Amino acid sequence: MLNAGKAMKVTIYLSDGATRHGVPVYSSILDFLFYRGVAGATVTKGVAGFGADHHMHSANMVEISDRLPIKIEFIETREKIDAILGKLEELAGTGLIEMQETTVIKPAQVSKPKQFIPPTHLKIEGKAQMMRIYVSEEDRWKDKPLHEALVAAMRANDIAGVTVYRGILGYGAHRRVHKDKPLHANHHGSVMLSAIDTEEKLRAFLPLVDQMVAEGLVVFSDVDIVKYAYRALEVEATS
Amino acid sequence: MKEQFPARMVRIHFGEDDRWHGKPLHEAILAKCMELGITEAIVFRGIEGYGSGSRIRHSSHWPLTKDAPIQLSIVDTEEQIARLIPCLDAMVEEGLVATSTVEVIRYSRSAGKSEE
Repeated sequence: MLNAGKAMKVTIYLSDGATRHGVPVYSSILDFLFYRGVAGATVTKGVAGFGADHHMHSANMVEISDRLPIKIEFIETREKIDAILGKLEELAGTGLIEMQETTVIKPAQVSKPKQFIPPTHLKIEGKAQMMRIYVSEEDRWKDKPLHEALVAAMRANDIAGVTVYRGILGYGAHRRVHKDKPLHANHHGSVMLSAIDTEEKLRAFLPLVDQMVAEGLVVFSDVDIVKYAYRALEVEATS
Repeated sequence: MKEQFPARMVRIHFGEDDRWHGKPLHEAILAKCMELGITEAIVFRGIEGYGSGSRIRHSSHWPLTKDAPIQLSIVDTEEQIARLIPCLDAMVEEGLVATSTVEVIRYSRSAGKSEE
């Protein structure tokens, strides 16, 4: 297994049409790398390119090309690469092999079989707070609807849950009445986000609300959480 | 601009077909709120619900169909809400009014920009 530190990255450029004993070259190289225990390899297909023969290969709808450029990339230790390089050169045929020194920051880990992990960070019972945020549906934050951005931000900050409600009628800070028109595709109305979590977590999230909400109302109220049930999520453990 | 103050929240539950002087009740209450200078008011249409009359109200997929449950949520200071309650007493014939104490943070753009 590959460890963090110095390693070599090998890139092989091939033409998709290239075959060896009737099998595409990339697949015989991939098989070879796989059975020689290389840590991992990726094959990517280019959209267009040209090689030594100076023939332009492109994915054109008119001339459906089967000779698109293919790139195989893998990272391994110097010793392991030295051991397989000879065979690799033979397999690559007319393709180009390039190698460069690289640093592995974080080696990939073998994914564990799926297991149930209860979302421990979401355990709240008893006293909690409800945060309601009133904004307009037209409000935007970095080219995204503000309410969507807020939900994404809350999710990223592990807020237990949030629901967005769309008002059918309402007004806010600058007294412009927002009215929902039936059968109207683009809706411009008031929305309310209602999030529940512990006081500390909601207060810790507040500076972000300060940044994101230019105009609107935030309301805090005390709530009692009577029941917080969740379905155990099937998550792929990474450690 | 950011202001922070303790406030009251009022939630009123009734039906979409409820009327006041021929006008939909939620529109009438909203107009009253604006008249009183209430900070924030928003009307929500529920998907399903039941109230004091114990008849189940549905909201249809067809947006013009009425008789959906309505919830009005109003936020302002204790004094402002106290002014509103008598009006609600007169207007809401059948329904529920719930109040709670809340803490409010209000964000507003600078006064010059808000008038478009």
